Amino acid sequence: MDRNQITKWLKSPGKMAHKYSLHAVYFCTGCGIIEIPPVITARWDAERFGVIPVATPRQGNLFMITGYVSVKTLKAIIRTYEQMPDPKYTVAFGSCPINGGMYWDSYNTIKHLDKYIPVDGWIAGCMPRPEAVFVGVTHLWTLIDKEMANGYIRYKKKYAAYRSNQEMALGELDWPPLYPIEDETEEESK
Amino acid sequence: MTRIIQLVLSPLIALVVGVLLLGLSRKIIARIHRRYGPPIYQPVIDVIRMMSQRSISHGSLFDLGVVFALAGSLVTVMFIPLGGTQACQPFAHGVLCPLSSSGGLLVVMYLMLLGPLGLALGAGDSANPNASIGVSRKLLLALAYEVPFLLVILAVMSHYETISLTEIVARQQQAGWGALSVPLSAVAAFLILPAMLGVRPFDLVSAPQEIASGPMAEYGGRSLALIKLYGATHLFLVIALFVDLFLGGGVNLATFLLKMLIVFMAVEMINAVLPRVKIEDAIKFCWKWPAGLALLQMAITVLSKSG
Repeated sequence: MDRNQITKWLKSPGKMAHKYSLHAVYFCTGCGIIEIPPVITARWDAERFGVIPVATPRQGNLFMITGYVSVKTLKAIIRTYEQMPDPKYTVAFGSCPINGGMYWDSYNTIKHLDKYIPVDGWIAGCMPRPEAVFVGVTHLWTLIDKEMANGYIRYKKKYAAYRSNQEMALGELDWPPLYPIEDETEEESK
Repeated sequence: MTRIIQLVLSPLIALVVGVLLLGLSRKIIARIHRRYGPPIYQPVIDVIRMMSQRSISHGSLFDLGVVFALAGSLVTVMFIPLGGTQACQPFAHGVLCPLSSSGGLLVVMYLMLLGPLGLALGAGDSANPNASIGVSRKLLLALAYEVPFLLVILAVMSHYETISLTEIVARQQQAGWGALSVPLSAVAAFLILPAMLGVRPFDLVSAPQEIASGPMAEYGGRSLALIKLYGATHLFLVIALFVDLFLGGGVNLATFLLKMLIVFMAVEMINAVLPRVKIEDAIKFCWKWPAGLALLQMAITVLSKSG
């Protein structure tokens, strides 16, 4: 442990612990997932950064979406994201969740993931190298330090807008809203 | 007064040492895989992180089951002597064992089941199919290792002709380790040690890849932190019991922890290289080799005592 971090640890242990214990839920949507096994196993060893995969969304705090998002998987992504306990951070991996990537004109693929769930960081590339994951993780540390990785707060604040976007893509949603919706979008979300 | 100090000290030692052993386990496995591995205090960071997260509840039993498991294993630690001899006098009987009694070993045997039962209660309340598969595997595995474990304990008790754990430790410090006087029982106990700890090759209870970490599937946030602490205490408990039964306890706390470290390293070496077995193979193994060895040792002990 770095010695000048001790004051930070004493000031906000929760935040620092979140930085160094990112338990990741890898959402295997597309080809991006093939880069994850080398990251978490012996070749690149993500565990030295405190990043380990967990089995269920309840236990994690880092949500990684690796690859393109089809309309069907978007549903599963939203449900997984809503099951994770706060605070949680989302990182989109590869160029497909950013703007569609090579599926930019596909009828069945979501082009901009951050319309539907808040995304804290992006790792661009097709494919990004495993090292890019570590660059992403260290960048996420900086964001957590400056309290800019606040996607879960944004989600709570602008839930009505996110929900209406989700309904636009998926039609009627068959689960109740996560947060209460007060304004005029209430009628539509029923 | 010394008893009150011991009552606080003994669970505290179990928690701290157990959590550090968990970290050491990750480091050892990393080094065997030729990676750098996380820092040794990584589980502490994890527990702080989980404590700061909101946890989801599925009912009162879901929350209380975890507390029950943690409390049960912390109470069990108090019945286990953690080093010290009759000669040295910082504590009441010279042994760091706050609740030492004449029937210690039997109490430990009963109380050790509290942890798994608490976890099973809590996980059963979550109504997650993965959790119920995990719970059924946990109870079947307990059935598998309890049979050889009881035979081992029976052999030890009939060899030393006492059911007091402190007495057994004291006798070993006078007349040589239990591993030398009941060798086959020691081997049997070492063979079921991974099953009691729930590590590979018997980590089928919390298999993350097949049943989404089993009983812990629905736990997150604070409850998961308590489960982590329960796991650490249980790890400490089982290895401490092994050291007390077969390696003669410890002259003081330092030697006791050193012996624990050696046993733990041996278990971790097995953990790092073996794959996971199926539940029926686990039962088959536990009821064949460790149970057979323990039975043989018990027959030898009883015959030599009566002859």
